[in-house]
Amino acid sequence: MAKEKYDPYKGFRELTGMWEKQMNSLLLSWSDNTDYIKLSNVGLQTHTRYLEMIKRNQEIMANFMNMPTKTDVKNVAKLTIQAEEKIDALEEQIWNLQDSFAAINKENMEFFGELVALSKQMKEELDNNVKELREAKKVKSDLQKLRKELSDTNELKAELQELRRELTEANGLKLELQELKQELVQYKETKNQEPVQEKKEFELAGAGTGK
Amino acid sequence: MAVESPVKIPALDYEKEMKRWTQVYKILTEDAPKIEHSPREMVWRKNKTTLWHYPAKEKKYSTPLFFVYSLLNKPYILDISPDTSVIAGLTKRGYDVYLLDWGNPGYEDDDISFDSYILDYLEKGVKRALRHSGAEDISVVGYCLGGTIASIFASITDLPIKNLIVATVPIDYSVGVAPEKWLEGLQNGTVSVDRWVDVYGTIPPALVEAMFRTLAPVNVSPYVGLVSRAHDSRYVDKWRRMDKWLNDSAPFAGAALKQMFNDLMKDNKLVKGELVIGGRRADLSNIKCNFFAVSSANDGLIAEGQSLPVMDLVSSEDKTYKVVEAGHVSLALSGLFAPIVDEWLSSRSDLA
Repeated sequence: MAKEKYDPYKGFRELTGMWEKQMNSLLLSWSDNTDYIKLSNVGLQTHTRYLEMIKRNQEIMANFMNMPTKTDVKNVAKLTIQAEEKIDALEEQIWNLQDSFAAINKENMEFFGELVALSKQMKEELDNNVKELREAKKVKSDLQKLRKELSDTNELKAELQELRRELTEANGLKLELQELKQELVQYKETKNQEPVQEKKEFELAGAGTGK
Repeated sequence: MAVESPVKIPALDYEKEMKRWTQVYKILTEDAPKIEHSPREMVWRKNKTTLWHYPAKEKKYSTPLFFVYSLLNKPYILDISPDTSVIAGLTKRGYDVYLLDWGNPGYEDDDISFDSYILDYLEKGVKRALRHSGAEDISVVGYCLGGTIASIFASITDLPIKNLIVATVPIDYSVGVAPEKWLEGLQNGTVSVDRWVDVYGTIPPALVEAMFRTLAPVNVSPYVGLVSRAHDSRYVDKWRRMDKWLNDSAPFAGAALKQMFNDLMKDNKLVKGELVIGGRRADLSNIKCNFFAVSSANDGLIAEGQSLPVMDLVSSEDKTYKVVEAGHVSLALSGLFAPIVDEWLSSRSDLA
């Protein structure tokens, strides 16, 4: 039994807690009425007027004694706050400038990047053009060769045409020859027939005479 | 022969009691603990606002995370101790984290409105984070009022927000944890804070704390809790860090506070789609990025009804809602938020 610890504060704490809660509820419920509110407002306004009077008198006295008042100090302090605000505004403008510069730099970098890419592309295109030019030259020389060959072919063609003409002429000659030959054959035939006829005629003529 | 007493009185653990009261004495006499941040570097500074970069331990995701914290408290709750830091939890999981620390607005910052906070600080901060990280898009995480600001921002910006996460976010001000008549008084104009805000210019931290305190005027349980667990060094360390943070509210720029009271609380313009920021209408239906909303089940500051409507207001096709068993602060304080974010975000972030 003697070993059991006794905490005398536990109950006290609980009792105090309950008492405090009840007292607060009581006080708040007492003050929870319109009359109390009106009275409080009267007290507040009286206190305010009293303070206003003290302040006004303080200002008057300080003015007579040529002493700065709290209001004067407040005005000076406001100037420093304004200066601080201006510095802040300037700092923000510097930020904006920094951001603009950063943006411009970024744009420039992008532009330079594009320029580099473009010059690379141009170089590649130039190489391609050189290559193409070389090929074109090759093609040109091939074309010239072809042209030459074509002109040779044309010459050959002309020769062939001449030959053809000659051949045509030769064919004409041949025809003529054939005609001549035919005529000759006809002539020969005619000639061969003429003695027979003449003979016949002679015979006919001779027969007449013989009688 | 010993006779047992009918009343059992257990013995006190004297060693434990000595440790408890030594710790209590130390807390009362020592300075508040110093909060050591995870490794970070300053990326940008404007007026009181600082943009911090917490590099990933081993970068796994190229989409960075951008934290927007509330204007009412200081964001070091997200990096309050090495063991439970939300930011360290995310950098360990491979995320590059950016945190926009609004800083402490001074008397001269009385005219900083939601318009200025969103357009001159948050939008510029996100731009800087995008430029610093070199990422194409970003995930924005808003906590508490930071979630409201992040949602408004996401609805009007053209910047590439890939994912939007909001935690314990007040969106619908027609409901709340404050008594009904308070809200009613504010909404019907019975109470107006404009003149009071004008006279202060920038609301000092003590008054911001007082505004929170009105929601729970009696606040003794944290101290009773501390005494009852003061023998536990880890608990004490955690308590002290939280206590430091709770008593270290940020001043609130007057113009922004007036806008919060009038446009958000009084007219509920964000839900109605009538809020105009820098000439642009903050319509939550413009939010089309992946969306994740986290609510705490035991939230004493933001009721679930304030967060839930955002799910219907955004146009995101990929949207998730999750309720976590935690409180408004403990979600961040315990580091629980980091695995919750990672679980949802890992599949929605680009790999590095």
